[in-house]
Amino acid sequence: MFWLNIKLAWRNLFRNKRRSLIAGTAIGLGLASLIFVDALVIGMTDNMIHSATASFLGEGQIHDENFVDTQATEETINNLDWVVSELEKEDIVQNFTRRTSVMAMISSAANVSSINLVGVNPETEPPLSQVDEALQKGDYFKDENMRDILIGSKLAEILETELNDRVVVTVSQVETGDLSQDMFRVSGIYHFNTPEMDRGMAFIRLKKAQDMLGLGDNVHEIAINFTDNRYGRNDKLPFWDKYSKHGNLAQGWTEILPQLEAALELSQFSTFLVGVILFGVVALGIINTLFMSLYERMFEFGVLRAVGTRPASLAQLIVLEAAALAVISIVLGNIIGLIVTYITAQVGIDYTGIEFAGVTFRTLLYPELKPSQFIFYPFWVFVLTVLVGLYPAISAAKISPARALQKVL
Amino acid sequence: MAQNQQTELVVAEGLEKVYSDDGVPVHAVNNVDLTINKGEFTAIVGPSGSGKTTLLNIISGLDTPTNGKVWLNGQPISAMSGKELSDFRRDHIGFIFQAYNLIPVLTVVENIEYIMLLQGVDKQERRDRVNAILKDVGMEGYQDRKPTQLSGGQQQRVAVARAMVSQPSLILADEPTANLDSDTGSRLLEMMRELNHKTNMTFIFSTHDELVIKKARRLVVLKDGKTLEDKEQQPS
Repeated sequence: MFWLNIKLAWRNLFRNKRRSLIAGTAIGLGLASLIFVDALVIGMTDNMIHSATASFLGEGQIHDENFVDTQATEETINNLDWVVSELEKEDIVQNFTRRTSVMAMISSAANVSSINLVGVNPETEPPLSQVDEALQKGDYFKDENMRDILIGSKLAEILETELNDRVVVTVSQVETGDLSQDMFRVSGIYHFNTPEMDRGMAFIRLKKAQDMLGLGDNVHEIAINFTDNRYGRNDKLPFWDKYSKHGNLAQGWTEILPQLEAALELSQFSTFLVGVILFGVVALGIINTLFMSLYERMFEFGVLRAVGTRPASLAQLIVLEAAALAVISIVLGNIIGLIVTYITAQVGIDYTGIEFAGVTFRTLLYPELKPSQFIFYPFWVFVLTVLVGLYPAISAAKISPARALQKVL
Repeated sequence: MAQNQQTELVVAEGLEKVYSDDGVPVHAVNNVDLTINKGEFTAIVGPSGSGKTTLLNIISGLDTPTNGKVWLNGQPISAMSGKELSDFRRDHIGFIFQAYNLIPVLTVVENIEYIMLLQGVDKQERRDRVNAILKDVGMEGYQDRKPTQLSGGQQQRVAVARAMVSQPSLILADEPTANLDSDTGSRLLEMMRELNHKTNMTFIFSTHDELVIKKARRLVVLKDGKTLEDKEQQPS
């Protein structure tokens, strides 16, 4: 009987082709939307993580454990030689770079501003930050000139400086606390579209920074990129414990930028909410379609009950019709979802310059297609459609055959 | 109830059906006693609203009486549950309605097989019985047609075939000729009468069609839900 009901359900679906097509397309569009939103959120997540970590942060960082809170000049990384030699041996570390990071005063002939002065190694820094790529004017530490300084576009506006203008940087030395001043030439102006970086940071050579600060070979920060960017998000990675000793603290980007992690969780929750709303709308559409079909065929159901079809078998028929509708919808939804997502994944969506959760999108956003999107969501669409089909199915099972034969409910 | 199971197929005692959908009680069937013997070719006649269809529905277990009892083949169907009634109808009663009898998405063969599938009859026997009944109702060659590809008369022939193929004790036909022209209706009735002779299956019609009335061997006349007349006649 089950197979007969499958045959009946499938054929019944095509009795009113237009209605089935419209209902199937509506459900399919809901499914396609879910697939697209999921791909978009994955793409956005990757883009945000990449924007946040690749701009300057890195996927992980090591500091003196007090430096994180105090930003004090003297809080340099402990046992630096051991840390560096161990990092060089790590299979999961793709590259790392050393930095100094202190608060400083920068002044031009026109103005003065406080900044975070970062000392970077021009050879090891580029894979971990995009300052070189963000340059609007000038070069990235092109020559061996120790007086080169890179500043952000907003800072250049404040200081009213242009390329090759001179600025004076004042810092406090580590041992004595004495002020140390030096003159630099603006060798590059970058634009990240992030106020924090464009207005509040400047980059000089690591060696020069160490000299100015009296740090010797010490540094404040080691930024790390892993071979797999998921390591930076894995707070259970033994790596963190290994380097969080000798008074140091190793952290992934999720700890350094908790607001980004929270924003990503919010995005995932938004996907869930969109899913619930779409499923709700789809569910009402399915109920409407099945009830319309049920009312139209009332006499037929009366005949089926009269000739001996059990109520449960009639209910099974309706549920199978819902399942058949789900199958059609899933095929349509997967095709529409694949086409739309594939095209946008190729073309990209331009969110560049838009800031979200402290991260500015710097590149086009590309939705990411995953095989699971074409299994997970269709599975739930199928389950939901069948579950929703239970309501009209139970109604059909309760039909009095005599009343159905009078076409009266 | 002392039923003579040798001859009596349907026994109805004190049947009443009261509808009160609009708050006003309406006696669709009012204290009807009826006995139908095996092999009868009986017509329940009367004007619209006389209670013919309601009486047929109660006899078949499609509807429940407000009062009274029905036995079919000695079994008290008034006391059966919904599932028991479904199974009972499947095994003991064949139905022919005035129109839209057939499942439109199934072919002629599939429609006729439907009840046998419910009964769990094996495939070979189903095929044998379908072929035999199609021959009996003159519908050989139409096996794979859908109902929409058949005329009204042909559809009713298939409906007769479906009703009889499971070899029930009783065939209930509610206005079977209502949607047919007189020639087609006449041929259909003649066919059913021949099948009645051949198989000794019991036929009960509800009708106000003169054609059916003339062919019946017994007439039960209803008016306002009551039995006005119950008589045997020589069919034409």
